[in-house]
Amino acid sequence: MKENAPVVLVVEDEKQIRRFVRASLEEEGCRVFEADTLAGGLVEAGERKPDLIMLDLGLPDGNGVDFIRDLRGWSDAPILVLSARSNEKDKVQALDAGADDYLTKPFGVAELRARARALLRRQSRTEAASPLFEFGEVRVDLSRRVVTRNGEPVRLTPIEYRLLCVLLASAGKVLTQRHLLREVWGPSSVESYHYLRIYVGHLRHKLEIDPAQPRHFQTETGVGYRFQP
Amino acid sequence: MKKLPEHGEVTPSALRDRKRYLLAALACAATTLATTPLFGLLDPANIVMLFLLTVLLVAVLLGLRPALLAAFLSVGLFDFFFVPPRFTFVVNDGQYLVTFAVMLVVAIITGRLAAGLRSRADESALAARHARALSEMARELSGALTLEQVAEITDRFLGAILQAKGDIVLYDRDGQPRPAVDHRTPHLVVEPRMAAIAFERGETVECSVLAESGCAAVYLPLKAPMRVRGVIAVAPAQSFTERLSAQRPHLETMASLVAIAIERIHYVDVAQRTQLQIVSERLRSSILSALSHDLRTPLAALVGLADSLACSRPPLGDAQRESAEAICEQAERLSGLVENLLDMARLHAGNVTLHKEWQAIEEVIGSSIKLLGRALAEHPVKVRLADDLPLIEFDAVLIERVFCNLLENAAKYSPAGSAIEIEVSLREERMEVRVADGGPGFSVAEAGTEALFEMFVRGESESALPGVGLGLAICRAIVEAHDGTIAAGNRLQGGACVTFTLPLGKPPLIEEEILPEQEEEAK
Repeated sequence: MKENAPVVLVVEDEKQIRRFVRASLEEEGCRVFEADTLAGGLVEAGERKPDLIMLDLGLPDGNGVDFIRDLRGWSDAPILVLSARSNEKDKVQALDAGADDYLTKPFGVAELRARARALLRRQSRTEAASPLFEFGEVRVDLSRRVVTRNGEPVRLTPIEYRLLCVLLASAGKVLTQRHLLREVWGPSSVESYHYLRIYVGHLRHKLEIDPAQPRHFQTETGVGYRFQP
Repeated sequence: MKKLPEHGEVTPSALRDRKRYLLAALACAATTLATTPLFGLLDPANIVMLFLLTVLLVAVLLGLRPALLAAFLSVGLFDFFFVPPRFTFVVNDGQYLVTFAVMLVVAIITGRLAAGLRSRADESALAARHARALSEMARELSGALTLEQVAEITDRFLGAILQAKGDIVLYDRDGQPRPAVDHRTPHLVVEPRMAAIAFERGETVECSVLAESGCAAVYLPLKAPMRVRGVIAVAPAQSFTERLSAQRPHLETMASLVAIAIERIHYVDVAQRTQLQIVSERLRSSILSALSHDLRTPLAALVGLADSLACSRPPLGDAQRESAEAICEQAERLSGLVENLLDMARLHAGNVTLHKEWQAIEEVIGSSIKLLGRALAEHPVKVRLADDLPLIEFDAVLIERVFCNLLENAAKYSPAGSAIEIEVSLREERMEVRVADGGPGFSVAEAGTEALFEMFVRGESESALPGVGLGLAICRAIVEAHDGTIAAGNRLQGGACVTFTLPLGKPPLIEEEILPEQEEEAK
């Protein structure tokens, strides 16, 4: 194993799940450490300085959201939350507390690896930001504030443009509705979910090929939105 | 004057009156007899006094009318036995006519006064008894814990003051009447229209005509602080009908006491039920979440382990890899089934909390299609949306389940390559969503029936296709929780089609932004 291989910490109480998560990540070329409790996870996170943390929300000794808040006090390593479906509230709490993404159980190996790769990649290229984004038929030049689709300029309202910028800046990452509202409309609008819905709809109609089956501006139902380049 | 009704006394008043007149006559006769031996010793003036005393006593003891009888009798007897010539009604001395007149007038006046006094004393005694009965009832009602007790206490009170009978009719929030005490034979016939009028107006309704036919004659609304809870119907005993109006204030006080007691019992009941519900709710949700954790965790491990086995390195032989993939697929299917079962359990428990938000239906269609991913790989999904669909209020997570279930069914029951169509339109204050496939459709017997939406019912019985008939049952539970409707049928051109509707409601206003260019143009 390489010296500079990314370090991943898996905090999960179910041994069999840890086993295949470890196997999959090791195939990705990661060094994997495990913890089966929150307390153990925090200690490991302090010692190993992981590049990525995989966290099960339902641990025997406490709530995973507390773990995230604790960790965010001194580390900004990306956190991938593992959670069951129908726990949308938990997911939102975890994301609002500072988690970066979530995976719904049960999940396959390919999905797990893709998410882990995406988070590790984002972690490694933080500074080299380019003002140019390209997805599908769309090209966005943030430095010139120009959006084109198939070479034709697309007219966006200031709010639509701001929303697009926020989504682009966190490409691949789930953004909760509250987060987006705070970033785009300001802290006093965090409950006006219907505004967000309307404007994401506008973006889809202007930039997606099939707005009813969006490829880039994806809905994470009950949680928020994700921009997938 | 009417004699007081003693509790439990049943003698008709006519008989009592006759007895009193008899007593008055006897009293006069006795006075005559007692005075006769004293005839020589006493002045006629003193004998008159004795007769006047008799009249006074009769008035005090027996009331006004016997006293009047006694007054006339006294004059007659005095004339007959004591005025010379004795034993005739002939009067020699004209002065006696003055005596008679004065005697009669004095007798009548004293008799009236005494009787008036007596009747006032009686009335106040009666009032005191009624007040006692009321306070007694108030005290008993304050300790009553059930409606049965309230009815019993009311019966006792009505019996005590009016020898009346009463029945309590309660009305629920929708204005439907029901007897306060089940399994009790009603005391009397309650005229429902009168009761309804009393309930709706909140006023006492009285109809003495009804009393003749054995119906309740007075209908008192039970006005409690929160709302009118019902009506108490009262039928007085035959001989007391005319006293009803005098008793109205007492009856009304009684009605408000009963109303407060009923409301108190109602809220105690509500509090207890809520308590119970909270406890059972908590138990149920903790069982469900424990169960779902215990079921999901091994399934998640199974899916992951099988999947990691299938793509392990060095690669497995084809047969082994296929087995591993099959395990993975089966585990995923089992996991889907468990999710459906848990959903159904949660929905069936009744109190699903909807996290309703205003949103576009388009969005949840997109997320459902993305979520199903591989399952829809062989079926292109065509989405047709009406123009300008408004936002609609729903729980996105649950409606996503509806779409997932419908799309999954459509994919399962239609041949590979055939398209699945989703169509959304507006119809009469509702949004109508149709999910149609190009499969064989529902059988003729099943199309359009409710049975399809029952749990564990499948389109084709004994089919080789996997799945339990939970999908449509879940869809129905979710749609109905949104006040929507759902129906299944076949399209004319073939293929199954499930249609559900959601109420439109009034979406919040959105201020539209103007494009910067338009702004410039406006300038």
